[in-house]
Amino acid sequence: MLDARDIMDVRLKFLLYGILTTLFFLFAGLYFFQIVHTDKYIRLAYNNRLRLIRVSPPRGEIYDRSGLPLAVNETTFSIMGYPLDLDKPYMLSRISQVLSNHGIPVSDEELAKTVKRQRLAPYQVIRLVHNLTMVQMAELFADPEFPNQLFPLPVWRRVYPSGAIVANITGYVGEISENELKNAADSNYVGGDIIGKGGIERYHEEQLRGVPGEEAIEVNARGRKVRTIDSLSSKRGDDVLLTLDTGAQKKAMELLSDYRGSIVALDVNTGAVIVSASSPTYDNNPLAWGVSTKEWHEITDDEGKPMHDRAISGVYPPASTFKALVALAALEENIITPNMTFTCHGSIQLSNRVFRCWRRGGHGSLNLTGALQNSCDVYFYQVGMKMGIDRLLKWVKKFGVGAPTGVDLTGEASGNAAGPEWKKANRKENWYQGDTVNYSIGQGFLLLTPIQLARVYAAIANGGYLVTPHLSPSEFKEPVSIGVSKEKLAVVQRGLDYVVSRGTGSRAGRFGVQVAGKTGTAQNAHGLDHALFAGYAPANKPQYVAVAVVEAGEHGSSVASPMVGEILAHILSHPGEKDDS
Amino acid sequence: MIRFSSLKENLAALDKILLCGVLLLFFSGVACIYSAGSGSSQGGNYAYRQIFWFCVSLCAFMAALIVGYRKFMDFTYPIYFTALLLLGITILFAPSVKGAQRMISLGFIGFQPSEFGKIAIVLVMAKFLNRYPPLNLKTFMGGLLVGIPALLMVLKQPDLGSTLVYVAIILSALFVAGAPMKYLLSFMGLGLAICPMLWPFLKDYQKLRLLVFIDPMRDPLGAGYNVIQSRIAVGSGSFWGKGFMQGLQSKLRFLPEPHTDFIFSVYAEEFGFLGSSIILAVFGLVFTRMILTGMKSHEIRAKILVAGITVWIWFQTFEGIGMSMGLMPVTGLPLPFLSYGGSAILSISIALGLLGSIALESVKPYK
Repeated sequence: MLDARDIMDVRLKFLLYGILTTLFFLFAGLYFFQIVHTDKYIRLAYNNRLRLIRVSPPRGEIYDRSGLPLAVNETTFSIMGYPLDLDKPYMLSRISQVLSNHGIPVSDEELAKTVKRQRLAPYQVIRLVHNLTMVQMAELFADPEFPNQLFPLPVWRRVYPSGAIVANITGYVGEISENELKNAADSNYVGGDIIGKGGIERYHEEQLRGVPGEEAIEVNARGRKVRTIDSLSSKRGDDVLLTLDTGAQKKAMELLSDYRGSIVALDVNTGAVIVSASSPTYDNNPLAWGVSTKEWHEITDDEGKPMHDRAISGVYPPASTFKALVALAALEENIITPNMTFTCHGSIQLSNRVFRCWRRGGHGSLNLTGALQNSCDVYFYQVGMKMGIDRLLKWVKKFGVGAPTGVDLTGEASGNAAGPEWKKANRKENWYQGDTVNYSIGQGFLLLTPIQLARVYAAIANGGYLVTPHLSPSEFKEPVSIGVSKEKLAVVQRGLDYVVSRGTGSRAGRFGVQVAGKTGTAQNAHGLDHALFAGYAPANKPQYVAVAVVEAGEHGSSVASPMVGEILAHILSHPGEKDDS
Repeated sequence: MIRFSSLKENLAALDKILLCGVLLLFFSGVACIYSAGSGSSQGGNYAYRQIFWFCVSLCAFMAALIVGYRKFMDFTYPIYFTALLLLGITILFAPSVKGAQRMISLGFIGFQPSEFGKIAIVLVMAKFLNRYPPLNLKTFMGGLLVGIPALLMVLKQPDLGSTLVYVAIILSALFVAGAPMKYLLSFMGLGLAICPMLWPFLKDYQKLRLLVFIDPMRDPLGAGYNVIQSRIAVGSGSFWGKGFMQGLQSKLRFLPEPHTDFIFSVYAEEFGFLGSSIILAVFGLVFTRMILTGMKSHEIRAKILVAGITVWIWFQTFEGIGMSMGLMPVTGLPLPFLSYGGSAILSISIALGLLGSIALESVKPYK
């Protein structure tokens, strides 16, 4: 018979078997995790502690012709903290208190929102406050009340010291967008990178950007750096020096301050852009620092379209400023001679349409220089009819109208050389002689950007060479000869000289330099006429060309010509420290 | 009581395999505590403290051995009431740490009555079931009722892990004492049936622990974080392990509570499948030798005592290692011999002292 003790021993044995079985289960579990699936967990462990950090290089800076900074980098600070620290009771109100003591008003509710928005993981760092200056940061960290769990993170910010004055040229930078990322797939960009969004910042992105570095770091569970495993140093971007004269640009912006319009000035021989002003403008600093949607809409919804660079993408009928080109073309095509005269009776009639001269009473008998000086429309109507649209168009295209000038900025417009083919394709109409008549005084379908017009006048001033406008000297291209004779060009130049010395553009000559140029008043279907003036100085040995286009300025002679005169005088009296000729 | 003159002779009679196994486990634990601590600013001081506790525990072991389990049996009821009293004090006065009251402070050290309660409940079960074998329903229920007060008090703290240890001790004592299987099975069936009804009484963190046990991704950065990180530590250990002091999961503090709850994860990461298997084998050896001690004893109460002690240590081992792989829910129970913790190591040493005295008594001829 079994004793109670024997039964107990049997049960003890069963207990032992049970225990050993459970240990075997644990063994099987270890086999499963450490042998069968170990690769997965090795990878997870590796990803746990490895962070690849992109080290953005300082961006190259932008300077004007005399070394004045137009776009520079400034160090600002963000205050960072870990969720584990921030979750401590009263932490946020304490931070809020310290910040307000130092003149940074942030409520603890705002902080709580910020933390909530950025909270992804307990070990992922959160940006509490940003855009602090070095001084603010130093003060905060010297305060014994400031929680020592928080730490500063230096951040490069783009600053544009001249702001709105050159915003259309420098452009601005911002975080790369999804589309830009897609388009730049092969250029080693990643989300969060800063990229040029317009102007020089965009056009010279490659040069300015530098080479980003990379740092592989080991982090602990809080995301704090333990050590650097590997690193690739970054390379600072190259600076870009511009031909722009900030002083003259500022002057141009002042002249345009009451208007919408543009002033462009080029070196006639090289095409270097000295001034490229567009009004109204905008401050590009907030854009580079990141604006709210509301602020962004305030800029983009502005009726004056401040971000529209009128200098290179505003298109206008050249109006009478175009007559200089027609005159040269007619001379070259031997349609007229310098001394051939036409008589102006105030208008001409073409079948049943009447084309008037701006001077109702007529100019009487005029030769070429007289016609330019008085801006006689009837003279050029007749020249245009004699020459015909095809020959006119040939010369218009020779002067680069209808194609971008190639200036190193983004968003340049082509303008429109128009002509019969264009009209057929776009308006489904034939070209009439009346169109040619209008065309010969720069009206109708013909459209130029201010910089294209400046380039046309640069060619007239420099002896017939088409320049490539550029802001960075590295973009200089050898001017291309249009193929005009010096004698014929001299006739046109004399005519332009008379415009200022004794004709419609006399207001351009009141600033102490000898200007030659041409006024223009472009009909505007949407309102008051646009005022234009294109001219160069000094008239006898041209160095700079300038164009002013004033939207709804009404009269080229009274509004636009003094602007050109003043800008040319300014440029000639304030020569840049670096000569670009 | 053993005469002091024969102490040397008696020590020679102890189960050396068992003792070696325990020492091996303990010093593996010290190494892991040292390794786990090296990642934090406190350095390895938990390891030094553990060695201090080892010295204290060694004295306690010797004391228990010398006093002998028979003397303990004589004073079982006073011991049990003292334990209940201490547990009561804990509930009433102990400060709440992470929502639970488990420690009472003795000025310089914290003290966990629930650990000593384990000794008390093992003793009381052995004594009671020896006197009233649970062969009929009345004595079976009596055996259950004896343990219930301690169990409820631990549950109240709340300390779910220790409660489960108490349940395991009570059931194993009844089982070994010869309770009919129909009673045991129906009691266990009843227990499982009322488990869902206990759900509303659980604290939120306890519910969360059970939920993340089922699906750690339910809260990967909160309650599930521990489970996921521990599993990564174990899994990335591979066959050979990363080597002593090379476990990055604990060094970089991805692993929470590396020196206590998750000590096995530290070990498994650094010593791999090979080292972990050895630890399991040593545990298996230790349990076998413990059960054998019980089988060799001629006393019923000694057998029950051995069963209780063995199941207590086994349960915490199974839970601790299972938890490191996410195979068991997180309870906060220390892994016997390996985890840092004064009360735990001390109470286990006393238990081993009692076990040793059983071994000594059984080799002695009857007087």
